[in-house]
Amino acid sequence: MKYLSETALRGSALGLALMATTAGAALAEKSVTIGLTADPSHLYPLAGEELSSNIMYYHLYDPLVKRSADLSFCPGLAESWENVDDTTWRFKLREGVKFHNGNEFTAEDVVYTVEKTRESIRPDLVANIASITAVDDHTVEIKTPKPYAVLPNDLAELLILDSEYTEATGDEKMDLEPMGTGPYKLESWIKEEKLTLSANDDYWAGEPKIDTVTFRPITNPATRTAALLTGEVDVIQDLAVRDVDRVKREEGFEVVTRPSLLNVVLAMDTREKSPTIEGDNPMTDQRVREAIARAIDTDAINKIVMNGLATPSDQFVPESHIGYADGMSFREMYPVDIEKAKELMAEAGYADGFTMTLDATNNRYVNDAQIAQALASMLAKINIDLQLNIMPKSNFWGYIRVPTEQSSFIMSGWDVPAGDAGSMYGALFYTRDKKEGYGQVNRGSYSNPELDALVDKADATPSIEERDQYLQEASKLLLKDIPMIPVHYEQDIYAKRDGVMLEPRVDKFIWAYDMDVAE
Amino acid sequence: MFGYLLKRLIQMTLVLWIVSVIVFLMMSFTGDPVFMVVPIDATDAEIAQARRILGLDQSLLVQYGRFISSLVQGDFGNSYVFRQPAMTLILERLPATVEMVLVAMALALAVAIPLGVYAGANPNSRISRTIMAGSLLGISLPGFWVGMVLIFLFAVHWGIFPSSGRGDTAELFGLRISLLTADGWHHIILPAVTLSLATMAILLRMTRAGMMEVGRQDFMKFARAKGAPRRDVLYKHGLKNALIPVITIFGLQLGDLIAFATITETIFSWPGMGKLLIDSIYRADRPVIVVYLMLVALIFVVINFLVDIVYTLIDPRITLK
Repeated sequence: MKYLSETALRGSALGLALMATTAGAALAEKSVTIGLTADPSHLYPLAGEELSSNIMYYHLYDPLVKRSADLSFCPGLAESWENVDDTTWRFKLREGVKFHNGNEFTAEDVVYTVEKTRESIRPDLVANIASITAVDDHTVEIKTPKPYAVLPNDLAELLILDSEYTEATGDEKMDLEPMGTGPYKLESWIKEEKLTLSANDDYWAGEPKIDTVTFRPITNPATRTAALLTGEVDVIQDLAVRDVDRVKREEGFEVVTRPSLLNVVLAMDTREKSPTIEGDNPMTDQRVREAIARAIDTDAINKIVMNGLATPSDQFVPESHIGYADGMSFREMYPVDIEKAKELMAEAGYADGFTMTLDATNNRYVNDAQIAQALASMLAKINIDLQLNIMPKSNFWGYIRVPTEQSSFIMSGWDVPAGDAGSMYGALFYTRDKKEGYGQVNRGSYSNPELDALVDKADATPSIEERDQYLQEASKLLLKDIPMIPVHYEQDIYAKRDGVMLEPRVDKFIWAYDMDVAE
Repeated sequence: MFGYLLKRLIQMTLVLWIVSVIVFLMMSFTGDPVFMVVPIDATDAEIAQARRILGLDQSLLVQYGRFISSLVQGDFGNSYVFRQPAMTLILERLPATVEMVLVAMALALAVAIPLGVYAGANPNSRISRTIMAGSLLGISLPGFWVGMVLIFLFAVHWGIFPSSGRGDTAELFGLRISLLTADGWHHIILPAVTLSLATMAILLRMTRAGMMEVGRQDFMKFARAKGAPRRDVLYKHGLKNALIPVITIFGLQLGDLIAFATITETIFSWPGMGKLLIDSIYRADRPVIVVYLMLVALIFVVINFLVDIVYTLIDPRITLK
């Protein structure tokens, strides 16, 4: 730091400047700068979803039901709620809440938001709402198409718009001039450069501790690390795996990790004929699926490919979720055992193995292409010749899309931030084309009447306990039948300078309202 | 001159049209943009709705027809991802790129011309050999590597320059310009240096080659014989005649850097338009890619046109037909 001019200090070393000013004046404003991997695409929740946009949404807007950092659900804009009957819910709304422009938040805004959402690009957000009516200014009644115990969890993703403002502003402009009830207001957004939020001092849950939050998109992982080390940013998202040791060694910085919700899974085709396999499809036989499961060494993948920064998954959903089968572990049921796997293959009549293709991405999951390569060498041990078909994500989703006419074996990821296995099981394992809204992502064409029945029952009860019971049954069934192999949960890696308090959220949505900086 | 302009205009329209067709065709192979917008577990009905909203429910031919007809009316279409006019997205990022490229090109010229002239005039001196070895490095070192090394040394290690971002800007004619603030200059130095190295090396080598070629001409000997100062001989008589190929390359490089400064922009988080192109390719955001590449084609055509005019200024023997 030989000749750091005044402007240099002001512009480049924001963190340093912050420390200097806070040391000088005790009453300085608290601010934090966060380095994200990408600039948000939107500030209008109905325009689309991706991580950076989601992070902004939850600063600017509030849902009726709040999802806390550890995936528990608690009152947001709704103070309380109750089931009037099996399909009717009544939500009591918080009084005295104001949008950033001073408009009062009322039941009308909730009704408007639901109706607006239905016409938008995200109708999935309100798929489980049949109708909504305002009972009075601060009560809404929601009817679900069928009994649906986890409606409040779903509502955690529906962010409430100001009906008057949104209508007057129009969709296109809403992206640039958002208006919500959230803990922060938009101060300025210079695309690809920085987005600044200022505290909403009238926030209904209390004034935020940090006054100014600046988000900077820094796509290149090495630059992100550099920006942290130079003090230009205080916190970074997705610290590159190779920089973890470097940052740990550095004085004054800390690496924070937590297992994410994203479960990397392998879907196996269960149709009689599979697109990339000659002759009959061996994977219709549970023994072959078990053999594949036993040949895949997730610990080795974690150690060699993921540098120890993954958590091998024991089920399809994490322990925190409704429907997690207590005490069961895929890893204990099917430990790595090549001999046993070969025996199973022989029993099924495939001692000589077979050839098939794995479809995987190369820019969606952490080290995805390398995982695919590791899988190929692991399956070679049980004589399965795994061809790799690796592509960027912009091609992938269309390519593997149901009815999966080109795929036999697919690696993808799945996360359920709603904290409930039901939506995942319904989408991934329910028999295809049997019921609208079910089985739409069933890429392995799995069909099991028992599982369908369990999902139906779970989706028909208004009681969370019963739902949990049915879904646990479903989990057990799936773990036994193996339509899909869970591989691992990725780990979210953050780095921060000392003095910044950050508890990473399970859903990855960095939320400055939960953060603080030392004086 | 008028005929020349007209010919150029027709050429340009043709080029732009071909670019639009190629990009449209190409993009049909890069995946379906609708899957970049909808959630993974979207139902068919939800996907159909998104397709309709984005205007993707028509055949490629119809989409192209719509694109061209609204283009004629000055509407370049909306980005699938941002849902904003593609042209606006590009134009709001253009000034950042242009100013970085201008600084880089100025830097390249300021270094390359004197060194090139020197190396051309004294091909056997030790300094010339050092210069030429250095220029080889400039050509062969990849930009992303140079950028990372500069960040590591000047930002992380010595703390002289910031690692990334654009810093303060001031407004001029409604454009945000960082060259008007000290902080802006402070931020632009590292990316501009990174961007300029390769061009600097190429220009230097072109200048040297030109000077060596010109140095053998009779008029140089005459100039020297009549007693003109060495400096005048080199710069007035020599350089002027060696400059034509240098300017051609300069024009091409200028267009190239404006269009594809992507890597430097990504490394330094410079909010320019190159990064937009890469992101759009990842997201299969066709409208942005089409407009971007058409704009790039336009920039190239305009720069080449300007280069042609500069030829006539430097060498009166050349006329535009």
